[in-house]
Amino acid sequence: MEFIVSASTDIGLVKSTNQDSLNVRVYSTSIGKVVFAVLCDGMGGLESGEIASASVINAFCKWADFRLPQLIAAGFGDQDIKREWTDIAVDMNSKLKAHGAMRGINLGTTLTAILLTSERYYVINVGDSRTYEIADRAEVLTQDQTVVAMEVRNGIITEEQAAVDPRRSVLLQCIGASETVVPDLFFGQTVQNAVYMLCSDGFRHEITPEEIYGSFCPGNMLSAEQMKQNELYLIELNKQRSERDNISVITIRTY
Amino acid sequence: MLEIGSLVDGKYRVLREVGHGGMSVVYLVINEKANKTWAIKEVRKNGVMDFEAVEQGLIVETELLKKLRHPNLPSIIDVIENEDSLLIVMDYIEGKPLSKVLEEYGAQPQDLVIKWAKQLCDVLAYLHTREPKIIYRDMKPANIMLRPGGHGDEKDITLIDFGAAREFKEKNLADTMCLGTIGYAAPEQFGGMGQTTERTDIYCLGKTLYHLVTGCNPSEPPYVIRPIREINPSLSSGLEKIIEKCIKDNPDERYQSCEELLYDLENYKTIDEKYARKQKFKLTAFILTVIMSAGFLAGGFAFDKTAKSNADKQYLELIDEAETETNYDDKVDLYKECTEIPNKAGDKAAYLALIDLFKENDAVFTKDEADTIIKLVKTNEEVIRSDPDGYAEICFEIGKLYWYYYSDTNELTRRTSSVKWFNDAISASDNYKQLGMAKVYSRIGTFYSEISVNTIEASDKGLYKPFFADVAELLDSVAVDPDESEIVRLELLKLSCDALVTYPTKFKTDGVTEEELMEMCDKIQLASESISPSTDQTKKLSDEIISLYVKAKEEIQTAFSTNMPADDVKGGS
Repeated sequence: MEFIVSASTDIGLVKSTNQDSLNVRVYSTSIGKVVFAVLCDGMGGLESGEIASASVINAFCKWADFRLPQLIAAGFGDQDIKREWTDIAVDMNSKLKAHGAMRGINLGTTLTAILLTSERYYVINVGDSRTYEIADRAEVLTQDQTVVAMEVRNGIITEEQAAVDPRRSVLLQCIGASETVVPDLFFGQTVQNAVYMLCSDGFRHEITPEEIYGSFCPGNMLSAEQMKQNELYLIELNKQRSERDNISVITIRTY
Repeated sequence: MLEIGSLVDGKYRVLREVGHGGMSVVYLVINEKANKTWAIKEVRKNGVMDFEAVEQGLIVETELLKKLRHPNLPSIIDVIENEDSLLIVMDYIEGKPLSKVLEEYGAQPQDLVIKWAKQLCDVLAYLHTREPKIIYRDMKPANIMLRPGGHGDEKDITLIDFGAAREFKEKNLADTMCLGTIGYAAPEQFGGMGQTTERTDIYCLGKTLYHLVTGCNPSEPPYVIRPIREINPSLSSGLEKIIEKCIKDNPDERYQSCEELLYDLENYKTIDEKYARKQKFKLTAFILTVIMSAGFLAGGFAFDKTAKSNADKQYLELIDEAETETNYDDKVDLYKECTEIPNKAGDKAAYLALIDLFKENDAVFTKDEADTIIKLVKTNEEVIRSDPDGYAEICFEIGKLYWYYYSDTNELTRRTSSVKWFNDAISASDNYKQLGMAKVYSRIGTFYSEISVNTIEASDKGLYKPFFADVAELLDSVAVDPDESEIVRLELLKLSCDALVTYPTKFKTDGVTEEELMEMCDKIQLASESISPSTDQTKKLSDEIISLYVKAKEEIQTAFSTNMPADDVKGGS
C-alpha cells in the first residue's frame, strides 16, 4: 500500500500562541510503507501549552524512530502497541506534572496518534482531538474524552445540549494534569483508497461532518498539493465562522 | 522564588520549602525575635496567567483576611507585596492534606467524615457570613489539612489556601481545561449559568465528602457519581441523601445554606430512620404480594382479585401520602415508590402527579427533574403503553413541560426536546383527546427547528402559512382557556407575538392577509388583558407581551404598506 501525507496548522484568530503540535512521517520498512502521525493540542498559560504538546510529540516520534523498527523486525500485535504507547502517555503525564509542580503552573495536552501499516491501523487517544477514517463517509475512530461526550454516552444530555453546554471544553483527562491517564486505544483494518485524518478540536467545531467529507473524500485527495489545498480551505472556513482556537490537521491518503 | 536562609521583610527567616500549590509555593519561616514559626505563601506574578484577578482578590481583601478568626482556618497576619510576588504570612499548619490521607489509607470512616463535614460547614458558614461574603470556591481534599494527633479535638482539620479563593473565578469558556486541574468545580463555575454563590461551596463540599467516604475520586475514571451505598452498602442512607442533595446540578435544588446542611448532618441518623420506615413499608408490600401470588397459584381467581385490590389500595394510600407530604424531595420519592408497587407501574396517576409537582414546585423544569421523569417513563414504558391513552397523556404533558418550563434557556433545545414527546403522544394513540393539540405543538416545534436551515437555503416559502394556522389554533384553544396555568397562557401569547414581529413579510408572501394578522394581534391583546399576573416572572412576561404586540402591529403595517418584494424588505429575518 502507498501513502500520501499532508499537514497544516494555524494559530487561529484569537490566541497569541499556537499550542498545537503535530508530526507525520512515512517509513519504508521490510513490511512495506508505514505511516506514523501524531497530533497534540496543548493547554496552559503562556508557552507552557506548547511545551506540553511538543514534548509529547517528541516522545512519540522518538518511539517511532527507534522502537518501531525493532517491533517491525520482531513482529508485533495490538497489545504490544497498546502497552508501549500507554507507557509513553503515562510517563509523559508524570513528567509534565512534575514540570508544572516545579514551576507552579498547570499545563497539559491532548494526544491522538495513528500507526498505519498496509494491514492495520493503531490509534491512541487522550482528550478531545480526533482521528477520522474517511472512505464513503467521515467516521470518527476515536471517542472524545470530555465531560459532555460522556454525559451524552450515558444518556444524561443530548448532542444538541452538549454543543451549547458551558462545560463543553472540559476534558476528562489530559496528559500533564490528570492523576492517572488511561488512554483509549482503537485498532482495525487499514482501508485502501481512504483518507485518515487527525485534527485538534479547533478544526471541527465550526464545520460539519458533511463539509469534512466534501473536502477530504478520497476522490478529492489525489495529490499532496490537492490535499494541502483542501486542508487550507477548511481551516479558512473555520476562521470565517469565527473559530477561536488553534486549528491543526493531518491527512493521510491510502492507495 | 524565596531563597532559603534569606530574611523577608526584615523579620522572617526562610527555613525551607514545604509545599507547592497550583500557582504558589509555601515556605516555613521563623520570626527569630519572637522565636515563632510561620508559613509564607508566595504567589509569583509571572507564574500566574491571570495575576491581576488574583491580586485584586487578594489586595482588596487583605484587611479582611487579616481579621478572619476561626478555629478551622489558619490566621493570616501579614500580606507583603514586592516586585514579582505576593507574600502571605500565616499560621504554619502541621499535618497532612486529606488528599494524602486518601492516597495512603483510602476511604475514611463515616463517623470521621461526618465530623469533618460539620467542621467544614461551620467554617464555610463563617466565610459566607463575612461582610462582604467570601466564597471559597475550591473545596477539595488537597485543601484540607489534618493535624497530627488531633483526633477527638474539634480543631483537628484546617482549611488552607483560602487566601487565594478569588483565583477561581468563572472559567474561561474558550480555554480547554482538564478535570484533573479544576477539581470539583460546580456547573455554574464554568460561566453562563449564573453566579457562584455559597451554594457553589456546598456543591464542592458534597463532592469532597463523596471522595472521602467512598475513596473514589469523582474526577477520575469512571467519572460518574454513584449513590454511596452502591459502593459501600454499610454507609448511611441519610448521608447518601445529604451528598446527593449537595451535588445537584441546579443550585436551587441544593442546600441553600451551610446552616441547612449542618442541620441535616447533625440529624443524618433521623433521615436514616425515615428511610428505613419506607423500606419496611415496601417490604410489607412485597411480602403481601408474594403471599397473594402464592395464593393465586394455589387456587383461584378470588385471590388474584384480592391481590389486585390490595395493590390498588396501597397505591392510593401512597399517592395520598405523597400529596400530603410537604418536603419536595420526599414527595418525589413517594411518587417514584408508587410506580414500584407490583402491577401498578402502568398506572398514569403517579407520573402525572410528578409532572404536576415539577410544574408547581418552582415553575422550572430542571435537568434533574427531566432525568427523573424520563428514567421512570422509559423503564416502565411497556406497561404504561398497555393504556395507550394514558401513555399519550403522559407524553403530551412531558412535551408541555419541556416547551413551557424547561430550564434550558436555548429555545431550540426546549422545542426539539418537546417535539419528541409530542410525536410519541401522537403515535401512541389515535383516540387521545388532545391528539390535535399534540400535532399542533409538534408542527410548530418542527417549524422552528427547520426554519433556520430553510431560510439560508431560501426554500422556506410556503412554510409560513401552515405555521400561522397552527399558532392561531393554539391561541384559540389554549390562550383563552381559564383552566390553563398563567405561565402556559403567557408563554403562548409571547410565542404568537414573536411570530408576528419576526415574520410579517414572510406571512404576507405566503398569502396570509393583513386582516388575519391584525385579528391575531387583537386576540393577543384581549387575552393578555384577561390575565392578571401573580408572580414577578409572569409580570415580566406580561409586560414583554404588551410591548411586543405594539411592535407587531407596526411591523405588520410596514410589511403591508410597501409593494417591494417581501424578501427584500425583511430578507432572512
